[in-house]
Amino acid sequence: MPRWGMAVDLDRCNGCGACVVACHAENNIATVGADEAARGRANHWIRIERYWEGEFPDVRLTFRPVMCQQCGNAPCEIVCPTYASHHTEDGLNAQVYNRCVGTRYCANACPYNARFFNFFNPAWDKPLHLQLNPDVSVREAGVMEKCTFCVQRIRGAQLQARADGGELRDGDIQPACVQSCAVRALVFGDLDDPDSEASRFSRSPRGTRLLEDVGTRPNVTYLARQS
Amino acid sequence: MTYPPAPLVDDGLLRPLVRRSSSPSPPVISSRIDSDLLRPLLLTSSRFYVVAAFFGAFVLAGLVAWISQIYFGFGISGIRRPVYWGFYVTNFVFWIGISHAGTLISAILRLVNAGWRRPVTRCAEAITVFALMIGAMFPLIHLGRPWLAFWLFPYPSERLIWPNFRSPLVWDFFAINTYLTGSVLFLVLPMIPDFAVVRDKSTGLRRRIYRALALGWRGTPRQWHRLETAMQIMAIAIIPVAVSVHTIVSFDFSMAPVPMWQTTIFGPYFVAGAIFSGIAALIIAMAVLRRVLHLEAYLHPVHFENLGKLLLVMALLWGYFVFNERLVTYYGNGPAEMTVFFRTQRDSFAPLYWTMVVCNFVVPLVLIGIRRFRTITGCVLASGAVVVGMWLERFLIIVPSLGAKYLPYSFGTYRPQPVEIVITAATFAAMALLYALFTKIVPIISIWELKAGEHPSPALIPPATEEHRLGELHL
Amino acid sequence: MSAVYGLYPDGRSAQEAVNGLRAAGIADRDIVVVSSQPMEDYEFGHMDKSTGMWWFACLGGVVGMSAGYGLVTVTEASWPMRVGGLPTVAWWPNLIILFEMTMLGAILATIVTFVVSALLSRGRLYDPAVADGAILVGVENAADDWAAVANLTRALRAPPGARVKAL
Repeated sequence: MPRWGMAVDLDRCNGCGACVVACHAENNIATVGADEAARGRANHWIRIERYWEGEFPDVRLTFRPVMCQQCGNAPCEIVCPTYASHHTEDGLNAQVYNRCVGTRYCANACPYNARFFNFFNPAWDKPLHLQLNPDVSVREAGVMEKCTFCVQRIRGAQLQARADGGELRDGDIQPACVQSCAVRALVFGDLDDPDSEASRFSRSPRGTRLLEDVGTRPNVTYLARQS
Repeated sequence: MTYPPAPLVDDGLLRPLVRRSSSPSPPVISSRIDSDLLRPLLLTSSRFYVVAAFFGAFVLAGLVAWISQIYFGFGISGIRRPVYWGFYVTNFVFWIGISHAGTLISAILRLVNAGWRRPVTRCAEAITVFALMIGAMFPLIHLGRPWLAFWLFPYPSERLIWPNFRSPLVWDFFAINTYLTGSVLFLVLPMIPDFAVVRDKSTGLRRRIYRALALGWRGTPRQWHRLETAMQIMAIAIIPVAVSVHTIVSFDFSMAPVPMWQTTIFGPYFVAGAIFSGIAALIIAMAVLRRVLHLEAYLHPVHFENLGKLLLVMALLWGYFVFNERLVTYYGNGPAEMTVFFRTQRDSFAPLYWTMVVCNFVVPLVLIGIRRFRTITGCVLASGAVVVGMWLERFLIIVPSLGAKYLPYSFGTYRPQPVEIVITAATFAAMALLYALFTKIVPIISIWELKAGEHPSPALIPPATEEHRLGELHL
Repeated sequence: MSAVYGLYPDGRSAQEAVNGLRAAGIADRDIVVVSSQPMEDYEFGHMDKSTGMWWFACLGGVVGMSAGYGLVTVTEASWPMRVGGLPTVAWWPNLIILFEMTMLGAILATIVTFVVSALLSRGRLYDPAVADGAILVGVENAADDWAAVANLTRALRAPPGARVKAL
């Protein structure tokens, strides 16, 4: 059984935001409009956090793409009363929209603020409504949602591999953000396969995990120059 | 079920209450108890309807607000990422806290057989039941899809999936369920003999209704013993349940890895705060009842003084817990914790924080600690401050932590919207309305318990207790 | 003759009436006392005191705890869900459910015992004067024998302030 994970090379990320756009397109994430976005209700399953280091004029700009960290010990899963948030066998932190009653407890428990609430029924600005992905359900008002590591692509690739009678090779599965990253800052793969690219990166001495001290055991590794 | 028969012999004793004069020489006080305490049930002035309509209008507005929130979507509230809990959960914790007034106070005072409790217990237990009903509404109101709330109940469903017993929200469901069941029964049990009194003193439809409510109560020694034993068992059972309820409410916060939430002190801190706000609510309710229903002969300054002293103790305990919580955080000096710490201590939430400290600590200490101010007015003023302060406390536990959770990029804040404010106001109106209606249906002071306290047998009660001292005051 | 009873203004004369009935050969279980408040200061107020309510409450607690145990273990094991790295049947949280169910069981058992043992009693003898503070002492289903009834009436009439009625 694989354990899906991701490695993010912060030294490669240039903050272009292609991953954010790709994620919106792939996962049918509603656009909320300028007013709601100003109130902090824009739902970006992956976001580019932008930090400045140092004092002006000696400033260095760094970017950190943050998505659901697919934690091994996920705080969001424990607190969900209806098992809408639970752990799959392949290490994914799954969200079952139809089971969600909208307590929003999972979002409070998430240290990464990687969970999003549908305040209204989803809507898309024209012509975005013409490019909805048929593999992903849309979420009604009152439901939590979050990055799934593009589980529809994972399952699709697994089914395809089984149909072809072959093995799933490293790199066969690419979540939308990974696929769209021009500088290959994002790498996705099986962490239990010692030869996969993601696995090798996650063991890199440059690697750290986000808020490791909270004890969530994330499956996303951030690689950065150690100063 | 056997109901008592119609009077076997009607010897003219069933006269209207007001003209009743020559019953077989009942004790004088006793007759006054009946007429004083049954008056609100039998006579209703037009002022009552005005008050009921006033509060009813607020409740209606709250209902409209909730329906519009369901209809238009949760977005019309002020909730936003990352502050996903706001006024609703504040109200939930606050009202569940208020509910600790009654059952806990009356159960403890019953167990230690404090004589001065007798006129107080029912007011307190009624607060518990109503506050709990209101508080238990909020998990529903704050749900994204409230029409699916029953998915939290443990029942075998076609979805083949049960609630997650590892979730604090499911613990909440069990705890509130047990507490509400226990509190309602704890309130209703000692009402049965009083229903029998109303049954015997009224006529017509009211008589038929109270005959059903009295459940065939006659008042044999067997019934009295069973009632008192049942009350004793309930009192013993309800105290740990009450403690568990607010501990579990605190677990809603302390089980999540959120700065300033994940702390072991939250259990006792919340329980102490709950009793604190509960006593304050009880003092206010008693003062209003005393004034409106003219119960000056039953609710004496000594009751307010005793409850005021309890309030003072809880204020000190509250201060102690807050100091503990703050000091440990300060010395831990974690970056995430310190962000929240200074947010409340000196940044954006500081005005609210220091208002809370003044309301919860300084005001009670001054108004109740100094004997000259420890009057009914003083106690009520202090209680009002405490209710405000405890509401702020719950708000300040929830919002600043959620708004400053670890990653500075996603910090945020929260501003309540009209829908939340209206619903919050409606809950206070609902409390007042339910309480007003309750006084019209049930004698607000337990008649039989008051009478039972009239004849303290010197052989059974040591002379130096509170009971004896108050017995001389004809309580 | 179905019942004969007296109404007494205070506990003292009620006690005398009870004693009189006993002297007339009536067993305690046939003596009906009705009062508008517990009369624990007097001996007759302690009649029929023994109760198994505490045991039933404990039994209810055990039943509640068992139900809670069954609920958590069966449901968690029958559809194992992995959440947050916790074991499928996690004892710390389950103890909370067990506690609440235990208490609920005890409370409900107490109430059921109370209703069955106190409210579902057969007696029907009552007089609304009780609500005014009178204490009723009487005998229900008294013997049809005229002499015996006269004997009872005499005993009930003896204490001061008595008002005896028969039906």
